[in-house]
Amino acid sequence: MIEVKNIQKKFDDKVVIEEVSARMEAGRCNLIIGASGSGKTVLMKCMVGLLNPDQGSIFYNGNNFTTMESEAKTLIRKEIGMLFQGSALFDSLTVEENIMFPLNMFTQDTTGEKLKRVNAVLERVNLAGVNKKYPAELSGGMKKRVALARAVVLNPKYLFCDEPNSGLDPQTSLVIDKLIRDLTLEYQITTVINTHDMNSVMEIGDYILYMYQGKKEWEGTRKEIIFSKNQRLNDFIFASEFLRDAKDMRMLEETGKIPNERDMDQMTRP
Amino acid sequence: MTLLADIGRFLIMLKGMFKKLENRQMYWKELMRQCTEIGFGSLGIVTIISVFIGAVSTIQTAYQLVSPLIPISTIAQIVRDTVILEFAPTLVCVVLAGVAGSRIASELGNMRVSEQIDALEIMGINTKTYLILPKIVAAMLMIPLLVIIAMALGIWGGRLAGTAAGIISPNLFDKGLMSDFLPYNVFFALTKSYVFSLILSSIPAFYGYYVQGGALEIGKASTKAVVVSCVLILFADYILSALLL
Repeated sequence: MIEVKNIQKKFDDKVVIEEVSARMEAGRCNLIIGASGSGKTVLMKCMVGLLNPDQGSIFYNGNNFTTMESEAKTLIRKEIGMLFQGSALFDSLTVEENIMFPLNMFTQDTTGEKLKRVNAVLERVNLAGVNKKYPAELSGGMKKRVALARAVVLNPKYLFCDEPNSGLDPQTSLVIDKLIRDLTLEYQITTVINTHDMNSVMEIGDYILYMYQGKKEWEGTRKEIIFSKNQRLNDFIFASEFLRDAKDMRMLEETGKIPNERDMDQMTRP
Repeated sequence: MTLLADIGRFLIMLKGMFKKLENRQMYWKELMRQCTEIGFGSLGIVTIISVFIGAVSTIQTAYQLVSPLIPISTIAQIVRDTVILEFAPTLVCVVLAGVAGSRIASELGNMRVSEQIDALEIMGINTKTYLILPKIVAAMLMIPLLVIIAMALGIWGGRLAGTAAGIISPNLFDKGLMSDFLPYNVFFALTKSYVFSLILSSIPAFYGYYVQGGALEIGKASTKAVVVSCVLILFADYILSALLL
């Protein structure tokens, strides 16, 4: 579980995050949503320690991450996996070497054991057999899946995903979402996803934190978002006529007035 | 102020490199990779430059030594001392600042911009230790070796050019090479090469590691790294010559 308490971050005189608090539970997909420039990436960077907040605290299972010594922070970081927006795969290494990298660095396993683990996670992200390819030879969706495999290879307690669907087509986005959701449930990971992909919000958002101009504007579940009266949230999520109709449809489904026949597993099936 | 801030950040970067290694084997592997890239990767250009510099030195020295009172073997002595004292350590390191330095800056810059450095940080790896230290150590191991090779090749190039142009016979050149040789000159050249290799690896690492922006900034950082390294190498050359000769 990750708890964020009254986080504030300024760059020069510009306040980018102001008094944001949130509680993100294990085994759930916790989404941070908001328009570009709303501060969600900065919030995530503060949470993982890439930026230091000016004020406030971040707790990992009750331990204050912001005031920890660097050695203790390193121990927490070893429990963190992160999927970056641009995948951040090491260009000079093959897929196999990329995924094996954390295992080489932090485990004493034999090469055989490490290879077995690499193949298992590659199979888990539906990419068996691409071991010897270089990142430059992969499509955007494949790179994301390799990056996801690398992020979970050490069985992290916390998984951070920064815009996992950016630059991907809707169907590949659904595949990535489903993978993240399944891994979260399977390993009871505290997953934090930074996104402005509305499909993700509606499909995997167990907890949603909506940021507006650096402040927490709204929080709730994907079911609650349907019934939310927050105008800014509704303007952001249901920006088009089509999405507003979809919202009305979902409201009817949720209230049982029409049957819900959609299933994410079916939608992502090739 | 910017200069002082940069110097401060540079020193903090150097200090940050000396942390406990997570896995010695991985660092050793990275060091070997860097040794291969910096050492063998630069061997070709070092060979070409050294041979030609030695050859040109012989021809130009012969051109200027017109007095019949000066023995012809003096050409070899002058070529030997010029190559050992200046051309091999300084010129080779200036060229390496361009070759290896720009590679270091652009590699780290690209890793920074594509969030690969952030990815390593998130894994709990000290990126300064893992990415910068092996580059500096590799440079300090390989560049003095390249300088020694450059010395030998420069003198050989001079001998070859002198013989080919009919300026000096091989026997006379060898005789000149042996006379009044000061081993201290080699020590001085190696001292310079250690200082220069520290400059040409740490300065580009600094500019690459702290780059911000995109591809354009990587190019700018790389160019700046090479220019600053070259200026500092020449400045250090002057200081070391004034202090040690």
